[in-house]
Amino acid sequence: MADAERIYEAMRKSIETYDSDAAVAAAEEAVAAGLDLLEAVEKGFANPIRELGEAFDRMEVFLPELTLGADAMKAGVAVLEKALNEQGGKIETKATVVVGTVEGDIHDIGKSVVATMLQANGYEVHDLGVEVPATRIIEAAESHNANVIAMSALLSTTMLYQRDVIELLTNKGIRDKYYVLVGGAPVTQAWADEIGADGFAHDAFEAVQLLDGVMGGQGS
Amino acid sequence: MNFQEIAKRFETGPLTESKDFLMKGVAAQAMKLSKEYEIAWDGKTRVNLDDGMADRCFQAGRELFIQTGLYGMNTNRVVRFSETEVDEALRAVRSEVHMGAGKDRVTIHHRQVEDPRKPFTFCGPFNANVHEDMFVRLNEAFSRERIVDCLFFPGYLNEVDGQLIRPNSALATRMAILYGQWSREAVRRAGRPDMPIAGHAVMAPGEIACTNEAWGLRSTDPRAIVLISELQIDDVSLTRLAYYLAYGCPIYMAFTPLVGGYGGNVAGTAVTAVASFIASIMLGGEVVHIGPQHMKYKQQTNEHSLFLSSLANQAVARNSKIIATTSHTTSGRPGSAQYAYEFSALALASVTSGSNVSGPRPAEPLGNNNVSPLMGKLFSEVAHAAADMTREAATPIVEALYDKYKDHLDLENAPKGQPFEELYDLRTLEPTAEHQALYDQVKGELINLGVPLG
Repeated sequence: MADAERIYEAMRKSIETYDSDAAVAAAEEAVAAGLDLLEAVEKGFANPIRELGEAFDRMEVFLPELTLGADAMKAGVAVLEKALNEQGGKIETKATVVVGTVEGDIHDIGKSVVATMLQANGYEVHDLGVEVPATRIIEAAESHNANVIAMSALLSTTMLYQRDVIELLTNKGIRDKYYVLVGGAPVTQAWADEIGADGFAHDAFEAVQLLDGVMGGQGS
Repeated sequence: MNFQEIAKRFETGPLTESKDFLMKGVAAQAMKLSKEYEIAWDGKTRVNLDDGMADRCFQAGRELFIQTGLYGMNTNRVVRFSETEVDEALRAVRSEVHMGAGKDRVTIHHRQVEDPRKPFTFCGPFNANVHEDMFVRLNEAFSRERIVDCLFFPGYLNEVDGQLIRPNSALATRMAILYGQWSREAVRRAGRPDMPIAGHAVMAPGEIACTNEAWGLRSTDPRAIVLISELQIDDVSLTRLAYYLAYGCPIYMAFTPLVGGYGGNVAGTAVTAVASFIASIMLGGEVVHIGPQHMKYKQQTNEHSLFLSSLANQAVARNSKIIATTSHTTSGRPGSAQYAYEFSALALASVTSGSNVSGPRPAEPLGNNNVSPLMGKLFSEVAHAAADMTREAATPIVEALYDKYKDHLDLENAPKGQPFEELYDLRTLEPTAEHQALYDQVKGELINLGVPLG
């Protein structure tokens, strides 16, 4: 047990120091030591990355640190996940989310922070990048068997593409398969209501809170 | 450096992933250089008074730009410039630019820190959504304010004939044409037919269509190109830039350094801001707009942005001839006193630091027409008054104003304000008595605080 705590501490440290190599080394040690890998994910990586996300929300750390911390977490969790899969197990996630900035819009930062924070909070996230056409968003949601489609738009003109995605989902008869979350500087609750989105979040922290409230138990 | 050479570099520079450019380039270097050059925020200063730090910030920003260059978001290529090219461009920068024509011709200057010359005022709807029914009247009201030098970003027409507009669509091009026609009509109605109009109709190639010497935006009107945070630009912006440079328009280059973003803390973001000023002139920018944006607050009058604006503007004012202007984006909205407290605080900080002014606007306008020409007038008056002040004199006033609004920065809970049609009598195009009383009240408060508005 003392060994487990030491390894969890090494994992935690790797997040705090944004060190992907250290995260991989600690995860490999956890596998070699035969630790409970699900517990290792939770105690070693999930808790500290959530704390890092909270520190980011308070602006005690900034985007570079959040990104590096998330990279370290992903590297470490990948090692644990591979071992877990080999044992016939898998990491439970709260839900699967495809996230992207809509067509015609090149703004990346807000969308990336949402992706990182969701990942840090136990969601399987597929970040589709920026300028993503409506058809590609839906194709990705279908192929990843997603529960949530999250769309960002930073311009009042590109917001329209959020509406297009919902319209296309409806036309395809698959609207009810997805929780559709919208956000971005010009996006409001009124706009979300107008286009028939399920949720609206001002920022990444709110997006996590919102999805935690509605997605419990829908993941895999 | 000519634009043809720069455009070529966007096709031939080293291929790099966006994340590597931002993380290994901008973020890592900004953090390293801000430490090396001992740039720091003490957690309480609103207006920088440390000239040495301003000079070091300029050197750090110059070094950052030479190391990292600019990123082409569509070609995924990094465009770098040599030390010699950067220094030649800095030497060649024009310290004054003319805009408008005839009796309405005006000149914007590079300003020094605590420069007694009045700042140039870009003022208008500043990209708030403006309904087509109100577009001309509202911009006419801004143009009637004689203190405003240039009608600024006459507003996004996100709907024409009841149809919402998508970028890159035929309707976006039609919208750009109407934008040009109606903006020109607004300044004509105000009796300033050749007044410059800073244009930014839509972030799409169709924006070019608002250009027309007879009825639209002219070669004497500044045209805006926006860099993406940090140090990035896309092909649409480069396409528009190619046209505006060839057409002879003054280039209004804008960027928004993001506190908490890839620049990291306030110090690192100030370094990226200086690098962005330099990137802007390398691309042909003649007036360079800094929008001291914030990741958390999503506006520009918070304590970090106040300091960032003062430090970055002083760095550029003291070490180059770049013509700087600062945007003023607030939490409070037109029709509220908080709106005026916020833009006044940032105007005092930025003007005494060597900047001209652009704005103001609410960060999150509520619906269409959430703007006030009368508040634009007060903003311009405060900016002019600030030219008579030192940084030391401005500091306690900035602090007092900040104390008034610091607990109401949250956009959701900030004062909602009112749309133009509720703040103005549309028949006379004069402010309502209530809105005029708000102006008088806030102006009186500012005078009592020591702003020389008399």
